[in-house]
Amino acid sequence: MAISRNNLLAAALIAPLFAVVVASFIVPLAVTLWTAIGNPEVRETLPRTTAALRGWNGSDLPAEAAFAAVAAELAQAQESQSIGPLARRLNFEEPGLRALLLKTARAKDRLSAPYRTSLVELDARWGDASLWRLIARNAAPLTTLYLLRSLDLTLTPDGKIATAPADESIFLALFARTFVISFWVTVLCVLLGYPVAYTLSTLSTRWANVGMALVLIPFWTSILVRTTAWFILLQREGPVNALLLGLGIVDAPVTMIFTRFAVYIAMVHVLLPFVVLPLYSVMKGINPAYLRAAASLGAPPWKRFVRVYLPLTMPGVAAGGLMVFMLAVGFYITPVLVGGPEDQMVSYFIAFFTNQTINWGMAAALACLLLAMTAILVVVARLIVPGFRLGSVSP
Amino acid sequence: MRDPIVTFEGVTKSYDGRTRVVEALDLALARGEFLTLLGPSGSGKTTTLMMLAGFEDPTSGTITLDGKKLNHVPAHRRGIGMVFQNYALFPHMTVAENLVFPLQMHGVPKNEIEPKVKRALDMVRLPHLRDRKPAQLSGGQQQRVAVARALVYGPKLVLMDEPLGALDKQLREELQLEIKHLHDELGVTIVYVTHDQSEALTMSDRIAVFHQGRVQQLAAPAELYERPATAFVASFIGENNRFDGTLVARDGAACRVRLADGSEIAATIDADVATGAPVAVSIRPERVTIGAASTHANRFNGELREVIYLGDHCKLRLAVAGNESFVAKVPAGDHATTLARGAPLAVAWDAAACRALPPLA
Amino acid sequence: MTTGNGLALGLRTFTAIVLVFLLAPIVAVFPLSFSAGELLTLPTPGYSLRWYDDFFTSSKWLLATRNSFVVGIATAILATFLGTLAALGIYLGRFRGKAFLVAMLATPMVVPVVVTAIAMYFAFSFVGLNNTLAGLIVAHTILSVPYVLITVLATLQTFDRTLLRAAATLGAPPPAAFRRVLLPLIAPGVATGALFAFATSFDELVVAIFVAGPQQFTLPRQMYAGLREFLSPTIASAAVLLIVCSLFLLAANEYFRARGKARTAPDDPAEPN
Repeated sequence: MAISRNNLLAAALIAPLFAVVVASFIVPLAVTLWTAIGNPEVRETLPRTTAALRGWNGSDLPAEAAFAAVAAELAQAQESQSIGPLARRLNFEEPGLRALLLKTARAKDRLSAPYRTSLVELDARWGDASLWRLIARNAAPLTTLYLLRSLDLTLTPDGKIATAPADESIFLALFARTFVISFWVTVLCVLLGYPVAYTLSTLSTRWANVGMALVLIPFWTSILVRTTAWFILLQREGPVNALLLGLGIVDAPVTMIFTRFAVYIAMVHVLLPFVVLPLYSVMKGINPAYLRAAASLGAPPWKRFVRVYLPLTMPGVAAGGLMVFMLAVGFYITPVLVGGPEDQMVSYFIAFFTNQTINWGMAAALACLLLAMTAILVVVARLIVPGFRLGSVSP
Repeated sequence: MRDPIVTFEGVTKSYDGRTRVVEALDLALARGEFLTLLGPSGSGKTTTLMMLAGFEDPTSGTITLDGKKLNHVPAHRRGIGMVFQNYALFPHMTVAENLVFPLQMHGVPKNEIEPKVKRALDMVRLPHLRDRKPAQLSGGQQQRVAVARALVYGPKLVLMDEPLGALDKQLREELQLEIKHLHDELGVTIVYVTHDQSEALTMSDRIAVFHQGRVQQLAAPAELYERPATAFVASFIGENNRFDGTLVARDGAACRVRLADGSEIAATIDADVATGAPVAVSIRPERVTIGAASTHANRFNGELREVIYLGDHCKLRLAVAGNESFVAKVPAGDHATTLARGAPLAVAWDAAACRALPPLA
Repeated sequence: MTTGNGLALGLRTFTAIVLVFLLAPIVAVFPLSFSAGELLTLPTPGYSLRWYDDFFTSSKWLLATRNSFVVGIATAILATFLGTLAALGIYLGRFRGKAFLVAMLATPMVVPVVVTAIAMYFAFSFVGLNNTLAGLIVAHTILSVPYVLITVLATLQTFDRTLLRAAATLGAPPPAAFRRVLLPLIAPGVATGALFAFATSFDELVVAIFVAGPQQFTLPRQMYAGLREFLSPTIASAAVLLIVCSLFLLAANEYFRARGKARTAPDDPAEPN
């Protein structure tokens, strides 16, 4: 069937945005996924070494050719400054290897054939087959290491999955913390937002408009500005403590900033409008005749609420609650500014690995897991709220 | 028909390639005619109108306007005016701007625009509302503006798609006459779509009754009412009592039909039906007389079930010859008080008032 | 719901408290920004404009302000153009999978910003867009285009298609019908989308942290840098300026929304209200 003129026009109109979204969003997400499982460092920096390790039985020490290749390639990498990523990569698998690699690279003038003897003399670890197995394993173009680490698992030098060392097993707890914080923020937002939306929906148009304006002003104010406000207010010498001291409620300033309490306060403040707005519009749409009908059928007020009003408003609760939860799971700025080290969420570690330790693999792996979590939430949202659309809370 | 303005020749429309919304339609419109397409929803009347307007392409067949083939001519080059169901007035333009729009689109010189707008507004008696927005008008006023807008640039043919459907009964009747008078004054050809039979009877020169994608009958209102061609037309237009039976004898237009309970009805027949074939017999309630003293060919003893008082007349519901909901319409004064439920009552009607028709499903 | 007077009063008091909670921190920033003192304390030791003076004489803050407007306006133009065209295409086209297409184009709304930010950071590192205003504009366009798309699509849903048919029967070829009927009627929705796109870019921080270098610092990015270095009341005055901008955008948005409502929702007899 020929494509109708209508659809040709439609395609031409949609194409520019489609192209931009694919090029600047879908492709970058694919790059991120690739970064999470890509394993280029050993392959690219030690090509001859890994070639020499091909066919090695894996239990004895490898042949002299491998020792000669590694010595030459490390020295070369030192010169071309590509040793950094390699050292970081192997050190991530086994702490201490960075020092070994840098030391070996710097020692190129002191090394001579037979390199096998020479390298083991330089550092006994070169005489350990497990180090060679590690190098050989990372000749593969893909690795599951980052994703495993994000789940507190690791690969042994032999390539088996094992639990990660305790001091690096922080990620399951991190995801759990992210979930717990998001959950309580959502609960608080719904508990605070429901009565507010209800009350606003019963007011006269004039007062309801005033009330809605008071909800919309924070909604339109940037998250950073609102977080900054709490950052200032909750300082030890800040206005809130001054107020509490002034009213005689406390004798000494209370530590509020950099606590979980501050995270909850600021996050609820930021996300509350996302619950009030959809709830308000749902409540506005409920025909009061239903409640009058329930009353005429003999239902007392609380039963009218539980049996009629609450079920009718549940779509709003679910839409708003899920929206808040999804946004909360990805929060970054607010916990960073008002929370302590124990209050940071997944996003913080993604940024941390990207900007501070330059471990893009870990950052990408955590990002992929966070993305997968969000995708699951969207699916759940669609199952719970028929017709759930993300636009439901747009301005 | 000589020099028709519009013709449909073998026009068929199907959306899915299988079910035909309009089937093998042949239709010719005379210049200056008021033709109504009447039928229940889904009968194909609106699709026919949309094909003429240029919003649907026929699957096969030809439509011509002024002798020129219309297929694939886009709507905006057909020069056919249209009044839509919900008026489709441009909400961001005033009444006057709505009328100026088609004049600009047809390249009417600037100095001629204002007189035309004024004339159109006078025509629908709304000159005082020219600067209002459509949202500030009542339904009837919006409807008048829509008519004025469709006529302002002088199209020869105007289509109206249930233009009065959204109005209440009284206003609808008032505007029916207004549109009819405009038609008489301007001599414009109008194709009017409605599902309301009384509207069709009031306004039209001719009515095409649509059912299941086909024109059942195309005739003037009186002809349609008095001499329906099919059982569908008989039942769709006006009230109707129907008996199903078998044609047992036929002599020209006179015939006899035997019913399931064995009784026979003398009726008139036009259709080409052989004896022994099933037919539906149709009799209008107002053609039924009651009481024993009657000279009509058909006399039955019925049993009165219900009397419905309607002011100017009464409707009697009876059981007659196996038909449990036989209706007779009688003047109110005569019987309203004297008749009792369950009483036996003789009914009679003339063979000429009673038509045997092919029993369309 | 008929509620006892006590319950109604309780609900209203509760609502008032929550609204105060929502508004108080925003209001509190105002006196702090006019403080005469060096510390962010209330009550302030006195009032002065010194921190605004500081803001408007600092090359860093001025650069950030300029960057914010450049990126915000460019983002609004790009996102509005792309989003409106796509919305029209989705509206006019007759094909399956529209919901899926919209969901795909709107995914940047659901994906956690940090994920979007590092994805762009990684991808931009290959094409040299990191530390450029162009990169920031592209990133902000991606983040804000879903709002334009959804707002314009929602406006189009209220647009009565028969108006285009009416225009055709009145002799208007499709381009004229588009220009004189469709465009004026969806203009308020487009304007709302553009405003929200600007606001999204103007308030955006996370992507800026990753993609922007010091020369591309926007107001939020400069504020964030300031917060992590030294908590000076200049930050409060920057916050006040951002709040004022937001209020302005909110007011403009409400204006366009009211106008859109007046245009697309007449007391249409076909629509029982």
